[in-house]
Amino acid sequence: MDGKVAIAGYNISPCSSNMVTSRERLLFDLTTGLFEELGIDRDAVDTFIIATNDFLDGRTISNVFLDPPIGAYMKDETKVEMDAVNAIAYGWMRILTGQYDTALIVSLGLCGHQISPYLHIDYTLDATYDRQLKLLNELSAAALQAGSYLGKYGYPAELLDEIAAKDLGNAALDPYQARRLDGISAEEVGKSRYLYEPLRELHCYPPTDGGCVMLLASEDRAGELTDKPVWILGMGRSIDKYYIGDRDLAVSPSTTQAAKVAYDMAGIKDPAGEVDLAEISSIFAHQEPLLAEALGLFEEGKAVDIYSSGDSAIDGRLPVNPSGGALGAHPICSTGLIRMAEAARQLRGEAEGNQVKKAGVAVAHGQDGMCAQQNAVVVLGI
Amino acid sequence: MMRNVGIIGVGYTPIFVSKRKDVSIPEMISEAVDAGFRNTGLTPEDIDAVIFGNMQTFEGVNLPHLWAVEHIRALGKPVMRIATGGTTGMSAFHAGYYHVASGMADVVMVVTYEKHSEGDAQVGLMGIITPEVMTMLQAGIDVTGGSGMGAIGGGSAGGISFQAMSYLNHSGASIEHIDAMAAMERRNAAKNPYAHLKDPECTAEKIAETAMVSYPIRFGHICPTTDGSTVCILASEEKAAELADKVAWVWSVANCCSDATTGNLVDGMITDPAEQRPCMIAARQAYERAGIEDPKTEFDVIEIYNGFAHQTLMFLEKLGVCEVGEAHKLLEAGELEIEGRLPTNASGGVVSTNSIGTSALNRVTEAALQIMGKAEGGHQVPKDVHKALAHSWGGLMQYVAVTVLGDTPPRK
Amino acid sequence: MEVSEEVFFTPTVPLDFTYNYRVGSHIGRYLEGFKEKKIMGVKCPKCGKVFVPPRMFCGPCNQKLEDFVELSQEGELRNYTVGHVNLVKGRLEDSDTPYVLGMIQLDGADSLFLTRVEGVPSDEVERGTRMKAVWKDQVEGDCADLDHFEPV
Repeated sequence: MDGKVAIAGYNISPCSSNMVTSRERLLFDLTTGLFEELGIDRDAVDTFIIATNDFLDGRTISNVFLDPPIGAYMKDETKVEMDAVNAIAYGWMRILTGQYDTALIVSLGLCGHQISPYLHIDYTLDATYDRQLKLLNELSAAALQAGSYLGKYGYPAELLDEIAAKDLGNAALDPYQARRLDGISAEEVGKSRYLYEPLRELHCYPPTDGGCVMLLASEDRAGELTDKPVWILGMGRSIDKYYIGDRDLAVSPSTTQAAKVAYDMAGIKDPAGEVDLAEISSIFAHQEPLLAEALGLFEEGKAVDIYSSGDSAIDGRLPVNPSGGALGAHPICSTGLIRMAEAARQLRGEAEGNQVKKAGVAVAHGQDGMCAQQNAVVVLGI
Repeated sequence: MMRNVGIIGVGYTPIFVSKRKDVSIPEMISEAVDAGFRNTGLTPEDIDAVIFGNMQTFEGVNLPHLWAVEHIRALGKPVMRIATGGTTGMSAFHAGYYHVASGMADVVMVVTYEKHSEGDAQVGLMGIITPEVMTMLQAGIDVTGGSGMGAIGGGSAGGISFQAMSYLNHSGASIEHIDAMAAMERRNAAKNPYAHLKDPECTAEKIAETAMVSYPIRFGHICPTTDGSTVCILASEEKAAELADKVAWVWSVANCCSDATTGNLVDGMITDPAEQRPCMIAARQAYERAGIEDPKTEFDVIEIYNGFAHQTLMFLEKLGVCEVGEAHKLLEAGELEIEGRLPTNASGGVVSTNSIGTSALNRVTEAALQIMGKAEGGHQVPKDVHKALAHSWGGLMQYVAVTVLGDTPPRK
Repeated sequence: MEVSEEVFFTPTVPLDFTYNYRVGSHIGRYLEGFKEKKIMGVKCPKCGKVFVPPRMFCGPCNQKLEDFVELSQEGELRNYTVGHVNLVKGRLEDSDTPYVLGMIQLDGADSLFLTRVEGVPSDEVERGTRMKAVWKDQVEGDCADLDHFEPV
């Protein structure tokens, strides 16, 4: 790969279940906050890429009113309607051509105070069949995935409680997370109500309001903007089948494929040995080990040991979701970008209460679609 | 490091019509993908990445590339969804361009569609400002007053008639010129097997007999809603040499946005939706990047996104292809016709065919087909096409994307 | 910048649009089969796999599917979940009673078929149980015609 692209700066919103703000105000605050921190203004941004979703924003062409608040007035702008890691991929490609030096990626998801927080996936369903049958929805599908994954290795359902307790405990230390349940135990998680078995409420992401912005820069420009650029070492994207009855729900081939491309680009041959930490967009507890296996970070079949031994804890051998991950906040479209920002915080040694000891190479991941049908993987390094 | 990128193939659904009752959404899209493969001799294994775009509120399907992944033969591949309203087709094309130009992919397929018959077009368009209008109503703001009317006027026909009136005032053109422009494009559409509204005998008089919607917009000036899908395949120079006989090279892409107040009252003045500063900025940047020094003389073919017939004339001026006040004179002199000096919308334009997700991409594919000499049905211009300009607009008239194509690779 | 909630106006804008979807050729054929209480699948000529409900393409083979096959009304329960909530237009509502959603491998099919499972208490469902289709008395070619599956 010719040339390098870095994260020059980012700004994560303090997420919440009910943010008192408008979309325009949220992005204005995030963007101006980042510009102030970097000592720049909108003239320094060569291209703007927005990642929001029309259905979640309740309007057609959801970027129409977002351009002026982010500084894109009379400038180059576009919209990737997916998790923002994909918008990062687009900004990365634009800078790699040499035609652009900087790209501002902007995303938000105001899902917390939505009337219908689970409609996002509903509308992705086959309109001629699944949507008519009304059996499949985001939660029932995730539950089938959880059942399949646990069944594959004979894991007990209590594993989900362990995973959620770890993540929610981490989230309580993270200033940006919405769901912060300090000191929560696996037993307490196991008492939250069932939604679709085996998934309980605390195994599932909380509908959240939040956003994130990130400035990418070319190698030369990054050096001018920050003394701690975080480099994009590899990037991969892939997609699985739509039809849930065709999929082996216990695995994520598209995550494996995306990771392979990203690792090859980054020159990583032994992910479990060379990656220091991972921020994974696991929006249901079972997705964390499932995706970690697909990323080559967990050995298959070993999840019970990994969680009980503390291997994936903040002070563990390979910390996974030291920020708490998406069980702490899931502002749809921003979630993967927040994972990248949290990974960057770690690499820069700025993660405070969530800081892992060894942070040189990180993996960040974002997903779209039912049961993580589509996945993007980024390898970052300092 | 910027690589050269060429268009090596185009695929359309066999027809663009009001209602495709025989196919579901993904089945319809698969027809265009099939056509793309058929026209190039490529197979799914040749495609490294897919870009997917459409305007989702029209069908009420979120992230349709997820449902359609098998139908577009994209399993396992990087698929990027681009959604920018009216410019979607060209924004998606630009994303495909950067995939190849950056070296991250060698062959990319851009897939666009719209199936308007399954939703309500007005609902899809009103959705741009429904939250604003509903908020104002709930807050007790008088929506018949200045800012309220401005907001409502921003939607479709309202703001557009401001734009058309302003254009007529600045240019000295008359409503009869708009009639004549619409008529010419409907005649062109009759020579395009992939167009929707075709009328080989169309005249300005016939258009003038259609109902007045909002002066100076007549029913005959307005685009239809169409069901259809368009696919475009892009390749690196090396792959193009290996895979294609004819190539339309991408010389540059550019885009610009302003804000959504065009047509609204600001400081007691209506901002002018005919000013189109983003168009002028995007065009200037595209010409700089492409090395176009004189847009008035260098283009052989132009494709303009004209949801409303006056926009062909207006944008010719805003793109700098002619002076302000000159476009309608070029029309009068016959220069914009297929056999003319500056064939414009030989395809029939958006005013003849509008499945919105495809409409901006069709401006590029039609320009590319002209360069490759592959436009069917009689709308191929009867001269060598060396350079072509494709334009699109979207949103509340504030987004413009532009693409410059040529018959040779742009860089040595 | 702190904004007090009292001065921040939060309007609720419920949007409800109606769409009319064409089912197309493959679901069309499937629903035709329902009129005769038949379950139709489609077979890939390349990999030989049989999918239900039928769709136009086999993803891994990139192959167009035109070979319709009738499937058995019986199969094995491979996966299931017990629902304690309903999602009604994207909103979470408690369900009065728990209900079972199952994924069944119909004899002759490779893909799993999602359906409601009845006739067994929700805490006694077991993977591997043989299930059979139960139709509505009056069928009209609607996906609701195939009401549920129950143990054989």
